[in-house]
Amino acid sequence: MSDHAVAHAADAGHEHEEHHSHGQLYFMVFWVLCGFTLMSIGADYLQMANKNILRAIILAVATSKALCVMLYFMHLKFEGAWKYLLLAPTFILAATIPLALVPDVGTHYYTVDVPQRYEYEAQEAAKKAGHAPVKVEHH
Amino acid sequence: MSHTAPAPTLKMGLPITNSKLGMWLFLGTEIMFFTAFIGTYIVLRMGSPGWPTDTNVTHIKIFWGGLNTFVLILSSYFVVVSHDALLCKQYKKSWNFMLFTLLLGFVFLGIKGYEYYGKFDHDILPGHIPESAEQAMEKAISTKVGLGAIVDARLTAMYPKQTKREDRKSENDAVTAKLKDKADATAAEKTELAAAEAINELNNEYISLKEHVRAKLSLEVPYANFDAIRKEENSASKYPVLTLEEVEHKIHELNKSKTVGPLMGGMHVSQPILYGNLFASNYFLMTGFHAIHVIVGLFMFALVLKKGSKLCVDDAYLIENIGLYWHFVDLVWIFLFPLLYII
Repeated sequence: MSDHAVAHAADAGHEHEEHHSHGQLYFMVFWVLCGFTLMSIGADYLQMANKNILRAIILAVATSKALCVMLYFMHLKFEGAWKYLLLAPTFILAATIPLALVPDVGTHYYTVDVPQRYEYEAQEAAKKAGHAPVKVEHH
Repeated sequence: MSHTAPAPTLKMGLPITNSKLGMWLFLGTEIMFFTAFIGTYIVLRMGSPGWPTDTNVTHIKIFWGGLNTFVLILSSYFVVVSHDALLCKQYKKSWNFMLFTLLLGFVFLGIKGYEYYGKFDHDILPGHIPESAEQAMEKAISTKVGLGAIVDARLTAMYPKQTKREDRKSENDAVTAKLKDKADATAAEKTELAAAEAINELNNEYISLKEHVRAKLSLEVPYANFDAIRKEENSASKYPVLTLEEVEHKIHELNKSKTVGPLMGGMHVSQPILYGNLFASNYFLMTGFHAIHVIVGLFMFALVLKKGSKLCVDDAYLIENIGLYWHFVDLVWIFLFPLLYII
């Protein structure tokens, strides 16, 4: 028996002679994904005062959709433990870049000195005063 | 009797095919590739107060983005149905669903193309977006995308043989002077004179506006006085400052003018968008790379469809691997849609 054939037989879900269709499961997952998409769009119409809660909801819905696709369409639910071995380092390395950037971009002690900041402050001040944005000189 | 024990059957590696392992390793690198973009986008966006979120400003179309999400989800569903049908030895059904997936991929790209058209039409492009009133005024007179570019284009169309702007302008002046003095000018010559004079007028308006923008002086201050003003002490504080509204009004007037209006091509002054360039860079980088992945996926589907009636159960691994790739493309969009279109 060739390596290919061994692997072929070992691979769950490819036992050609006895394959039972998963059509109904896939169809159900499809509708769940559609429902999640409608939830994402619907959330955009919610006038929530706290935008962070809205963002958390939308990202949670996106993560749920991604899990549905990975578990059922990509068959990870039915795969062996190798999936952890392969995907855990990937996710750790993938998270490294954004996490490495956070201290510089998100949690610094200093005020960012960019021209846009002065424009933004002028716009906010104009909004509070209730008149049109004023022109500012860039530092 | 032999003392040698039979060699045990060794099975090395993971209990999956080499091709599937290869695809998953490839997808691992892809996850890191897109996470770098998406993660960086999130960090930049959170660290930039005033990031553009108004869809009227960014020309983000939530409906079309939502429709594209549905298209990709449906195509992902069709891929698994195609794979499932193949394993059930329903080869025709498998081929058909693969074809539907290919067509949905084209639909996705069509909608994306429509969205990109809107961005190009409104000049929502990296490096093209003014982020302050000063930049908006500079863009209005720019020789690349503003009034300067329009004047150059009209002069080039009129005098294509001349290679330099100065030479084209000189020729236009010469033609104007020559035809003005001609008493028995024909109808064609009169039309040529009108065109040359219109370009002259537009060029004068352009120079005047450019000098006002550079000097930051209001259009209320005549351009003819600029030399005298420059010699004055503390001249900057004596005269009113140019505003974006004045520039907009001027461009509006030129558009409505009977002589130079037809030459303006409906030009309008871009409004400043805070962090607009960073937004556009992120948008095109992420959606562009995603679209490239979609195109690659379409080639893969075409590879399967080419097999036609030869499609058989042995192709299950091929379709499964292509499906894994396509689901990953769907996964990326699942995160891009809320991040770019909704949040």
